[in-house]
Amino acid sequence: MVIVKNLTKTFKLSRQQKREMGEGFTGNTVDAVRDISFTCHPGRVFALLGPNGAGKTTALRMIATMLKPTTGTISVAGFDTVQQSQDVRTHLGFLTGNTGLYDRLTPNEMVKYFADLHGLDGATFKTQRDHLFNLLDMNEFANRRIGKLSTGMRQKVSIVRTIIHDPDVIVFDEPTNGLDVVTSRNIVRIIRDCKEAGKTVIFSTHRMGEVNQLSDDLAIVHQGKLCYNGPFETFKSQMQTPTLEDEFIRIIEEA
Amino acid sequence: MNYIWIIFKKELKDITRDRRTIITMIIVPMLLFPILTTIATKIISSQTKKAQTKTLVVGLITYNNDTDFRNILQSREDLTIVENITEAQIDTLIQSDSLDAVIRFSENFTAQVKNLEPGDIHLHFKSSKDLNVTRNRLTELIKEYEKTLLNERFAHLNLERSVTEAIKTHRHDVASKQEQFGKTVGGIIPYIFILFCFTGCMYPAIDLGAGEKERGTLETLLTSPVRHLHIIIGKIGVIALSGLTSASIAFLGIVLAAVVHPEIATRLLNNVSETFNIAHMSFLVLALFIPIIVISLLLLPLAIFFASLLMAISIFAKSFKEAQSQMSPLTIVILLPVFIGILPGIELNVFTALIPVLNLSLATKDIISGTISPWLLVEVYSSLILISMLSLTFCVKWFEREDVIFRES
Repeated sequence: MVIVKNLTKTFKLSRQQKREMGEGFTGNTVDAVRDISFTCHPGRVFALLGPNGAGKTTALRMIATMLKPTTGTISVAGFDTVQQSQDVRTHLGFLTGNTGLYDRLTPNEMVKYFADLHGLDGATFKTQRDHLFNLLDMNEFANRRIGKLSTGMRQKVSIVRTIIHDPDVIVFDEPTNGLDVVTSRNIVRIIRDCKEAGKTVIFSTHRMGEVNQLSDDLAIVHQGKLCYNGPFETFKSQMQTPTLEDEFIRIIEEA
Repeated sequence: MNYIWIIFKKELKDITRDRRTIITMIIVPMLLFPILTTIATKIISSQTKKAQTKTLVVGLITYNNDTDFRNILQSREDLTIVENITEAQIDTLIQSDSLDAVIRFSENFTAQVKNLEPGDIHLHFKSSKDLNVTRNRLTELIKEYEKTLLNERFAHLNLERSVTEAIKTHRHDVASKQEQFGKTVGGIIPYIFILFCFTGCMYPAIDLGAGEKERGTLETLLTSPVRHLHIIIGKIGVIALSGLTSASIAFLGIVLAAVVHPEIATRLLNNVSETFNIAHMSFLVLALFIPIIVISLLLLPLAIFFASLLMAISIFAKSFKEAQSQMSPLTIVILLPVFIGILPGIELNVFTALIPVLNLSLATKDIISGTISPWLLVEVYSSLILISMLSLTFCVKWFEREDVIFRES
């Protein structure tokens, strides 16, 4: 489970960044995330939806302990992200649209590296690796350098890297960015599999179609603020516009 | 500690699979000196041979002084004499390469010689071409002529040539061969070590810092349960190892160059001392074994210092290119103390032993000579360890800053 309470993240701006904000901007800081709260439950998919620059990635980075909240708290699998950050990362898997792979390593080496970093013993690693490589049909290219793999193959490696240590919480940050429909299916499938395995799954997106396909719970973020937070079924039942995209835009504009 | 080893192993595997790293870390240092010396030797040798065997066209102005010198010049097959020129034409004729040189006697040359005074002979030449071979060839001929004049003079005065020698100096150098070698050649070695250690660290630092940021793999790494401290130490370990490897291979490259071109080694050793020769090298190889070990131990904290400094710059940069452009000017900053260390009059003392890079440069000379004070050696080592620990600590703190890690383009 992930519990986010009154989360705020304020960034100090450099001189150049202040200039880029425009002449009317007079402050020294910008609030990327403003007092948001939500809970993600095990066995359910939580979608974080918002336009570009809404604060989704910042929120997810705070959940993954890469950034520290300015105020508020986050609890991941019972551990505080600031006080117990190492424990959080032990129980968390994080995947971004940028696959984050080492081109000069093979999939085997890449997955082994992260398994070692997560403290997996040899036997557990082998069992997990064999299971996931078979599931995603990766044995054929397991010893080929990652730089020589297709986008779809790289995405599979990234997925295995994310879940090799069988985390309780898995975060997907815009995982289908830049992927075609066929390659995106792997992501969709893995998200469903993780949900069915009782994991807490959070994914961020700016595509309504993915939300409709996958999510059980929904939070809409715009300019760092939470515009909607609740079950997706409730969101659909309260729609005031004919399509999900229109409803999303309506909520954003009202915020 | 285990995490550091896991990261170190992976980064080492990753970096050694990169072609650019292999080229900059191993191939360039190994081949640079042998190739440069081969090219330089071949060009110099070919140019020198060409200049030495070329038939010189030499102008001769004697102002009607009847001398044997014309006969000496005319008897030479490698010279062509041109006599119908004036003093005013000399510069133009040589500059335009119509003449290689001009030999001009003073108008009262014969009278000077008869009066037992030195006769004036003016040798006009262009120094900017042919490595001064023309000047040297003609100077030899003039010396030959001077010898005949002196023999005549002494015979006329009924004196032996040895009367011109009032003193015969016998030089005795109490410095050992090792000391002589150290004080001259020892100045070049730190230059090579330090330069290649620094450049050997540079590329891996860029790849392991800014390169990871650019490829998006840093974010992935930060989601693992490894502390930032362990990540940065693992990476710095690989970068420092790369610098040390590069320095060692550069040193081997110099040895290889000396083996391939022993004539250069001989010339260098002759510059050390007129009594030095290749036979002394076999003795020196054994005598230098321990100094090389000591220098390598000094190089270790320096490599860590370089690695930490470069990693801090790399992790701050938004991209590979930015890191590269920020690091390149540092090469001059690093070489400045090395250059100061080569200057005469700069010695290793209590104060210079505290200044990083300069202290290693000066200490290397004294270590190779076998004359270093143990207390100064301890001071140098302490200074280098201190600067390496400070830079490592700074790099670790720097890596923990969100505005540094997530500084993106």
